[in-house]
Amino acid sequence: MPITLSKDELLGRINGTCLTPLDQELVVYTDASDFFALDRGNILILGGNGYLIRGNTREGRFGLDDEVKFWVKRATDLATGALKIIKIPFFEKFNAHIAGLTYECYRSPGKESRILQLVAEHPNFMHGISLADDKDNNVRVMEFIHGPSLADYVASLDLDHERYFHEAFAPIFEGYLECVRAIAFLHGHLEKHGDIRRDHVLIDRDTGRYRWIDFDYNYRHRENMFGYDLFGLGNILAYIVGHGDVTVQDVRRDKPALFDTLWGEDLNIIFRNRVMNLAKIFPYIPRSLNEVLRHFSPGANYHYENTSQFLDDLEEAKIDLVGCWT
Amino acid sequence: MKTHPAKKILIAVDESLNSSRAVDYVARILGSYRDVSCELLHVMQEPEEDFFLTREDRDKWFDGQRAKMEGILEESRERLIRAGFAANRVRTRLSVRRCPTVSGCILDETADEGFDALVLGRKGVSAKEEFLFGSVSSGIIRHAKRMAVWVVN
Repeated sequence: MPITLSKDELLGRINGTCLTPLDQELVVYTDASDFFALDRGNILILGGNGYLIRGNTREGRFGLDDEVKFWVKRATDLATGALKIIKIPFFEKFNAHIAGLTYECYRSPGKESRILQLVAEHPNFMHGISLADDKDNNVRVMEFIHGPSLADYVASLDLDHERYFHEAFAPIFEGYLECVRAIAFLHGHLEKHGDIRRDHVLIDRDTGRYRWIDFDYNYRHRENMFGYDLFGLGNILAYIVGHGDVTVQDVRRDKPALFDTLWGEDLNIIFRNRVMNLAKIFPYIPRSLNEVLRHFSPGANYHYENTSQFLDDLEEAKIDLVGCWT
Repeated sequence: MKTHPAKKILIAVDESLNSSRAVDYVARILGSYRDVSCELLHVMQEPEEDFFLTREDRDKWFDGQRAKMEGILEESRERLIRAGFAANRVRTRLSVRRCPTVSGCILDETADEGFDALVLGRKGVSAKEEFLFGSVSSGIIRHAKRMAVWVVN
């Protein structure tokens, strides 16, 4: 697409929408292919509008240093002044490894575009649109959600577990339930999220809604298309119920008497150091909720095959939980 | 003299060794029966377009995979005929579907067709693997209705 805005118009928009004037020469891109080159202060033209690049985003987990995602930019929409996330196509394919298992993973801009279209009206997902640049690259322009990740929010609650569970857990569980229903919606349309993690749920500061982000990951499924998504949902559930990951190392250190009561079947079937039978550690957790967690352990008689089964059990558990909440 | 209705056996076929063993098992056990007919079915997952950079890559992969599975089905059919099945009693079917679960697609594909038994090989996936990615044989055992399931190890 040719540039439809003159440099003067762009500068006018920058001055009109940004607090600080541009302190460098105006560099305008209409082709986002080289995302390493597209840097802070540059303009990317998409759909006849300019986006002032503010920087790259980062992603960090498990205490590792944040990894710079050069293909994901923060930008100012020069038509509205709104902060946006811009994702430039980045195709990667690799073998992921988990618990000694190998599976094929890949990043797919097309998948994310489809899902953005599908969830455009859904309150529990990040929203955005796909725009083509000059080279027909599928660039996704997404709203910036202000608010903490679910992971950070739960970690920030400075309460002992019993108080957390009785006083703070209710809205977290409600938000999580909405998230599970949202994933059931995706699965109902034969789409996976693909990268379900507790830091891929943001709590929207403006609306209070829990919202899924980052749908461009995919994995080559085998028998069950949704198994890996379900695994992710189970891990998040354990995290919010436990007020963080409850590891055997923690139990051994803090509650040695309880450590002696833990068996292999009480642990996560994949992450063998995480406790899933959390009622052994926190006995006020209702049995119905604990049984849901135990479906993610080797002690389960069967594992969930789809999100509907999981959701049904969560809705039942909620009935028992209501009595626990003050 | 009392006659028995012909029996219909479905064999779910994939590329695995145990799937091949399932075909051998049926050949060995039922090859000498005149009133048994067999259908060899492969459900091929419609490839997700996301996995390929271009439509051409996808089509190339798809054509290759389809040709490979057609070959396996035909070779399995010949083994059954060599074991004694009449040629007109052994059919093959390759179905391309978008499957939330492969087992569900196999069962959907053959629902209400009156098969007396479904035979398949067990890949022998670990508990972890079954948890994360599922197991076709476990799915079939759990959800098959109105027919026997034979799982060949």
